[in-house]
Amino acid sequence: MTTLMSKPVSAPGKSIIERLNIVTALVLGAVSAFVVWRLALQFLPGDTEVRLFTREDKITLLSMIAWFVGFMTGIGALVGPFRWLMGKDLSHDENMFLAGKDMGINRYFRYTTDHKVVGIQYLIITMVIFGIGGILAMLIRTNLGTPEGGWIHPQAYNSIVGTHGIIMIVGTIIMVTGPFGNFIMPIMIGARDMAFPRLNALSFWLIVAAAVPLIWAQFIGGISTGWSAYNPLAGQAPLGMNGYIMFICIFAISTMVAGANITTTIVRMRAKGMTWNRTPIFIYGIMASVALALPAFPVFFLSQVMSGMDRALDTSFYNTAGGGSGWLYENLFWIMGHPEVYVILIPAVAALMEMAPVFTRRPLFSFNVAVMGIAGISGLSVLVWAHHMYISGWAPLLNAPFMLTTELISIPTGMLFLVLVGTLWRGRLWMTMPTLSIFALLWNFMIGGVTGIYLSDVPADAFLHGSMYVTAHFHYTLMGAGLTGALAALVYWFPKMTGRMFDKKLSWISFWLVQIGFNVTFLGMFTVGLAGQPRRVESYASTFNTGNMITTIGAYVIMVGMLVLLHGVISSWRSGEKAPMNPWQAKTLEWTVANPIPLENFDVLPTVTSDAYGYGKAQS
Amino acid sequence: MTDLMNSKKPQWWKSPDVKKTAILWAVCTALVGYVGTEFHVRSIVEPASETMSGVIDLMRIFTWAAAPVAGLVFAMCLTVLTSKRHYGDNPPAEADHQISNSPRANAVWIVVSALLCLFALITGLIVLQKDSEAVLESTAIQMNVTGSQWVWSFDYPNGARSEDLYLPVDKPVVFHITSVDVKHSFWIVQMGIKMDANPGAITEAAVTPNKIGVFDVRCAELCGLLHAYMQTKVHVVSQSDYDKWVTEHAALEGRA
Amino acid sequence: MSVETHVHHEDPDVVGSRNRLGVILLLVADVAFALSMVFVYFYLRGQNVNDMWLPAATEERGAIVPLSSGPAWTVTAIAAFGLLSHLYALKGGREKNQTQLKLGSLVAMVASVVALVMQFNTIANAPFTFSDGAYVSCFYLFTIMNFVHLALTLFISLGNWNRARLGLYASNLWMVDIVRIWWIWMVVSSLLGAFSLSYP
Repeated sequence: MTTLMSKPVSAPGKSIIERLNIVTALVLGAVSAFVVWRLALQFLPGDTEVRLFTREDKITLLSMIAWFVGFMTGIGALVGPFRWLMGKDLSHDENMFLAGKDMGINRYFRYTTDHKVVGIQYLIITMVIFGIGGILAMLIRTNLGTPEGGWIHPQAYNSIVGTHGIIMIVGTIIMVTGPFGNFIMPIMIGARDMAFPRLNALSFWLIVAAAVPLIWAQFIGGISTGWSAYNPLAGQAPLGMNGYIMFICIFAISTMVAGANITTTIVRMRAKGMTWNRTPIFIYGIMASVALALPAFPVFFLSQVMSGMDRALDTSFYNTAGGGSGWLYENLFWIMGHPEVYVILIPAVAALMEMAPVFTRRPLFSFNVAVMGIAGISGLSVLVWAHHMYISGWAPLLNAPFMLTTELISIPTGMLFLVLVGTLWRGRLWMTMPTLSIFALLWNFMIGGVTGIYLSDVPADAFLHGSMYVTAHFHYTLMGAGLTGALAALVYWFPKMTGRMFDKKLSWISFWLVQIGFNVTFLGMFTVGLAGQPRRVESYASTFNTGNMITTIGAYVIMVGMLVLLHGVISSWRSGEKAPMNPWQAKTLEWTVANPIPLENFDVLPTVTSDAYGYGKAQS
Repeated sequence: MTDLMNSKKPQWWKSPDVKKTAILWAVCTALVGYVGTEFHVRSIVEPASETMSGVIDLMRIFTWAAAPVAGLVFAMCLTVLTSKRHYGDNPPAEADHQISNSPRANAVWIVVSALLCLFALITGLIVLQKDSEAVLESTAIQMNVTGSQWVWSFDYPNGARSEDLYLPVDKPVVFHITSVDVKHSFWIVQMGIKMDANPGAITEAAVTPNKIGVFDVRCAELCGLLHAYMQTKVHVVSQSDYDKWVTEHAALEGRA
Repeated sequence: MSVETHVHHEDPDVVGSRNRLGVILLLVADVAFALSMVFVYFYLRGQNVNDMWLPAATEERGAIVPLSSGPAWTVTAIAAFGLLSHLYALKGGREKNQTQLKLGSLVAMVASVVALVMQFNTIANAPFTFSDGAYVSCFYLFTIMNFVHLALTLFISLGNWNRARLGLYASNLWMVDIVRIWWIWMVVSSLLGAFSLSYP
């Protein structure tokens, strides 16, 4: 459409696009939040109903919405839509400006559309999220180090648990598709950028906008409901709950936008000759993840809209006194909640599948089975949500069918194991941190998977549900498998993303500390779960002392390992060894572009003639 | 494309790495099965009902059923890890072969995992059926359980009411569970039953205690500030002690 | 509705098909949202917890009587008229008839304004307070969400008309075609709401 523009928009001095950056966004967001807060305080009528907090909830939610609108306006998210409305599409120069052309470091603090900038932004925000979530985890474990722990007030403790839960979930959702899905994926498929570069910037800045209500929430009572924020508990929780609601709504939009963008990019923009058979498995992983999130998160969004309406308007979606139902919330929540764990897991496993041939110097084993596995998991995962509700009593007759679907999911999951083990078999092992991570994933994911079988079984779940056993189980899958894959991806793609090699020694040290600490932590947690310790408790019976002590010690080991990793990231980024173009001698397209990568990646778009796994001798 | 299990030599099982893996498989399977069951059985609470013993048996069965799969994965990993490894900044020579698929291995793997899945399902369904029939037991004591922030209260059939639970041994009990405020989850730990207490609805769970003693009731669903302290005791006593206790307590409530 | 730009110019057809897929995927999310709303409605209606779907009369107020779903169907009908005008505009565009394109887009835009106003009146004049039971909660949910949809439709149809007016669609029509997809979804989502509200 730009070709139709007869003349470029003349800009006397600085045009509005050039003025907007993170500072204007923060200022505009803060000012609008303050103004709306003051106005609401002044003009909103007092409570006439018996319910006490409705007015406060309205004020809080309105201020948070004002923050959101102000921030997004200030960062420049509305420029594109309004230029479209006025029929003055962005000119080529303006788009180049938005892509961060010749802008240096400043482009990371703007509404920059270049996918490589967005990838780095995602990487940083993921690290910040894991940092905060990790600190909260250490507070939890320290508090649980002694049985009557109790140096944290129960209200604060519950809030720490809830905040740790939700931000770690968000962190793990974006940890692979954010940094690597944005930075690496377009290059890997031979594209110059994402399909919708402005939506790409939008998805990132929405997460920044969402972070503030969550931080805000900590100062107005916190999120004392756990990450699942079950109603009616959430209905009676302090004002901080509104922060959770806003956070989820904004994050759901971000996920939706990113999902549409990434899927379109993969479907429409693969290089010439990159048929589905020649598309790297990592691309499948990314696509399955975002395509699964696309229909799942709107349901979560709706559940929170209704939660907010219950709080601020006194409607009764979940309030049983007014005809609502807590089971409704649980259903909506888990319809999102179970696909979401595969949103986290699939891209991490797929990243390791991508690395396995590189570090064994042999082709990927059974590409078709890998694709079938990913597709099978994605398909089944939308049919299993009620296994989180076996003992909620909402429909006992449905327990058996949900047990069936849940156990069926072990078949496609098994396929992923087959592909990884088959690729390792008779390979020429090149020992690097990502190689070790493949083995670590097989170990952790095996434990997470087998414990999942117990939990999928209704009678066993009647004992295990809501205990620390469940907590240990999903940490084994999301952290033991998911995060392990993400950290391997970081070390593997670090040379391409930063132009420098990741310090080898530090990557090994942190790998061993994290993995050993992790297994100590969560094997210990399994034992206390079996002994009958419920989740989310801030004190426990003295019989659980030993297990909790072990878990806490393990958690500190993880912390040390993560700090070593952080040191590795910072020192390697600043002064690491300069990376060659293709340090791993891998065959995917992202290794064919120079370091640093030019703005539009490829001068001439590549043509693909075979899959990326042509390793090994004796071509037959 | 050569076949993983059927390379050019007809007797693929004679190759040294396959032999090694086979031995490791046996060892790993035994280890995973043994360590896995011991890990669970030693940590888990002492059962105080058939239901809980059933749960423990299920864990034993599932662990041993999963052991060969886990054993095979670990054995193959060990074989790979103990073969020649390459350290260094440059890649090693390419692997000796280019096997990228093996329909037979895929088929075997998928069929075996489907069978295991079916096995787990059937085992679970049998127990599930037993549990759901227990709720319909007509001779059972009908007990009303109410969760509120942050106490449990129990209403006995004869009008008695208490905050710690008394049950006669070897007599089936059906709990009718509800809540007056938020969601709680009623969990008698050593008896292996758990059911959510929902406001505005009544849910049911059944159990037959088979051991005299004192056991734990905990809330298993985050229910606000003092969730961690929402726990009480179950006293399983002989039938005569139970009868005496409920009569006394019904009198206290002025209903006997 | 983002516009593709690269140094390396791409065929408008390629760009168009890419944008169309993107919009369809975004609509997948919206469809999931709308279907969950229908689920909420019928779940709460079926459960009728504490008989509070439609509360009976109390001392303070009379029994809650559900509103006729007439207004919801009317809004849907107006939206459908908007879709038809848009189709008329698209047809004009295909036949290189710029006048028809502009006229159709204008009428579609006006239809979205009318529907928006009507929807607003339904919400503002509803004889309920928010705390009048589950049906009323769902009523507000559906009407408010439809209002939000209509507001988006107004934005899109306004932009579409403006661009038609400026002659930006002279050489290719993929954007008008994508706006058509949105209009179809607008009608269907409104229909879902009207359908649900017909079963109080």
